[in-house]
Amino acid sequence: MRRVAVTGIGVVSPLGNNSTEVFGNACAGRSGIHRLDAPYSHRLIAPLAATSSFDATQHFDAAKLRMLDRVSQFALVAASDALADSRIVFSDVDLGRAGVFVGTGMAGTQSNDDGYKTLYGDQSDRIKPFTVLLGMHNAPAGWMGIEHGFRGPNLTYSTACSSSAVAIGEAWLRVASNSIDMALAGGCEAPLSFGSLKAWEALHTLASVDEKDPTASCKPFSKNRSGMVLGEGAAMLVLEGWDAAVARGATIHGEIIGYGLSTDAGHITRPSIDGQAAAMRAALQSAALTPPDIDAINAHGTGTQANDSIETAAIKTVFGEHARRLPISATKAIHGHLLGAAGALECVLSLLAMQHQVALPTLHLKSPDPECDLDYVANVARDNVAVRTMLSSSFAFGGTNAVLVLRAAS
Amino acid sequence: MSTTFDRLRAMLIKDYPSTPESLTSATLLETLGIDSLGLAELLFNVEDEFGITLPTEPVPLATVGDVVGYIDALVAAKDQALTHDAVALNIGTAPSRVS
Repeated sequence: MRRVAVTGIGVVSPLGNNSTEVFGNACAGRSGIHRLDAPYSHRLIAPLAATSSFDATQHFDAAKLRMLDRVSQFALVAASDALADSRIVFSDVDLGRAGVFVGTGMAGTQSNDDGYKTLYGDQSDRIKPFTVLLGMHNAPAGWMGIEHGFRGPNLTYSTACSSSAVAIGEAWLRVASNSIDMALAGGCEAPLSFGSLKAWEALHTLASVDEKDPTASCKPFSKNRSGMVLGEGAAMLVLEGWDAAVARGATIHGEIIGYGLSTDAGHITRPSIDGQAAAMRAALQSAALTPPDIDAINAHGTGTQANDSIETAAIKTVFGEHARRLPISATKAIHGHLLGAAGALECVLSLLAMQHQVALPTLHLKSPDPECDLDYVANVARDNVAVRTMLSSSFAFGGTNAVLVLRAAS
Repeated sequence: MSTTFDRLRAMLIKDYPSTPESLTSATLLETLGIDSLGLAELLFNVEDEFGITLPTEPVPLATVGDVVGYIDALVAAKDQALTHDAVALNIGTAPSRVS
């Protein structure tokens, strides 16, 4: 296995649309969560969302836009930005050995929603010709391959909230094993359609509105947490062999050094201490590390009652006494839960945190929970923290747990 | 009164990179970026604009003029069918009832 460098980062997110902006807002604890002002907001119990500031017409002409669901728009912009950031010279790349690996949980849900409205709501049979192409799960990856001419593996992973951590992990495996030279890897999600929001609402996993401050409605690891807030966006990475990156003088944002998977095989939604712990252990084993080698964790930290206490227990199970020395960040408090894109965005935040030697804060943690008694970097970022190696955890409905091991660039 | 060409041209200008001056009957659809997939979308919108239902069988359409001819043929067939129905039902040909 060879070393794998992250040489490009592209983001469209509720915290901003470039690395500097995203990291600045994450450090300052500026929330991207707000009351959702939509025509259907009055029909939502908790009209909250973390939206991305994004004008598609700035990126695509009208004919192209008609082919792209919002989720593919996010993916394409993040991918182009990641490639631009990598400064890779395409004429030097064997595009037959360049792959695309994308995670998405709900894909083109807005387009599917529109089709259902036409069919069932409007009682019309006039379904738009591109509905299938807009809604299919591999549309974002397909468009990324077309846009950049990547002719290697083009794969889409849909494991709910761990989708993009899986995509990055699988891309890492292929680059590390030298089966491809480079990869665009990450995730995208645009889940803020009316139908999607109502479906999530029906699951009783969404946060209630904090009436004093709606931007503080998601409160990971806090006793008074009430659930998650859905967010939208995309995060893409350029991965390439370490030596090749060094040889071409690339700026290296960090290194992926391990990836662990496990499956709960227990319940379709309820998380499991054993399942989460198994994924963390598998990740450590993959990186040939032991628990004390880890300096910090970006937690899954959804802000649901079930996840946060179980994740705390899983971290204790794996890390023992070292768990109490780990800064643990739950950044979903301010960027919301991007579902299939969450793992990729949190991977980006972790890489940036290591670059800047910062432990990112877990916002809105004002009410300690005896079952969540680790160091979550409550409310305020911590500077000058020696963070060289991190875990980024993503745990999913369906039971697929994925953990990435990241290292600061040498 | 707008011709079929005028109405189709207005649709094309709205949705594809083109100008009124550049569009003629001889303009190839592919020069507007309309491939077989794009044609499916164009014909979907044609159905709405002209109030016609296209047959499901594929038809070779290469130019703007081909599409105009196709639309005109379908509109004529529709008008003929309506006239036939009206005659069969005696609609519009029966004497008014005088009270």
